Amino acid sequence: MRLYNPEVEKAIAKIKDSKAKTICVQLPDGMKPYAKEISDQIEEETGARVLIWLGSNFGACDIPLGLNRMGVDLLISWGHNKFHKKVGW
Amino acid sequence: MEVLFLDAPFSGTVELSKDTLAYLKKKKYKTVALYASVQFVNNLDQVRKQLAENNINVITSHADRTQVKGQLLGCDNYHNSLNLSKDDSNAVDCYLYVGDGKFHPLALVYAQKDMQEMKEIVCNDPLIKKMSLMGVQDIKKILLKYRSSLMRFLTAKTIGVIVTIKPGQEQFRPSLMLEKRYANKKFYYFIDNVVSFDQLENFNFIDVWVNTTCPRVGFDDQEKFTKGVINLNDALMAEDILGRDSVLTRL
Repeated sequence: MRLYNPEVEKAIAKIKDSKAKTICVQLPDGMKPYAKEISDQIEEETGARVLIWLGSNFGACDIPLGLNRMGVDLLISWGHNKFHKKVGW
Repeated sequence: MEVLFLDAPFSGTVELSKDTLAYLKKKKYKTVALYASVQFVNNLDQVRKQLAENNINVITSHADRTQVKGQLLGCDNYHNSLNLSKDDSNAVDCYLYVGDGKFHPLALVYAQKDMQEMKEIVCNDPLIKKMSLMGVQDIKKILLKYRSSLMRFLTAKTIGVIVTIKPGQEQFRPSLMLEKRYANKKFYYFIDNVVSFDQLENFNFIDVWVNTTCPRVGFDDQEKFTKGVINLNDALMAEDILGRDSVLTRL
């Protein structure tokens, strides 16, 4: 049994719904070993191109920059939920 | 570009282990402040039931940056960000954290650094079904250095302010308040994505650093700053913090 459920079906539903063609998959360190399974499943079931974010994922505050330049339509970030930024902490 | 967040919930059973319940009963704790990381926070029914069966009251709160009540982020490391009322804060016998790892519950330790007393953090890890405790002893070395960085800041003339370009963490405008608060100091602003600790030494004219990125950088990475680092909000009230009777000043 996996410790954490990656809920890939939710990712696939969102990709199909939004008709995204290029996806960036961002995972926290503890889930980075899941990248192969997630990437393979997304590509197989949606035909979308998957780019795996190599760098940090400290939280929902840590979204990769420059993805628009790469033509990424949808970023899927695992292990976090919406972050409410507080100005000045 | 759209962004989709997926919680990745814990696949196992979320409940309090026997040693957690035994410890809470042994300590005769009557009221706990319950927090959990996102993988566990939506599945706390059994935990609440166990606490109710043992006549333990549960208090929780909706922390500033979180999406869900009771959720704890690592950056909730200042007490006011928990949004726990003073009455609730006083009523709590201990904090009860449900989740794995040390990063999140350590926020609850840091959050009490300016309080008069520190209440312990009981950590219940559903992965290994074990309990552990956290308290000031876990961060004593860091806080001692942090306190000395605060003192260094007060007398320093040349300050390096670290600002990240990550949209979720960028606090450039608020950092400009430093210039108004400390007109006799010179502030230089350094921009980065992830803080490049190996570059700090190249800017040898800096007396001390002020961190405006993730507030945990100012604590967890304190050892990586040979000139010392303090967080922006502490910099803005450094004299007040050092003048209080608190966990930090009594170390």
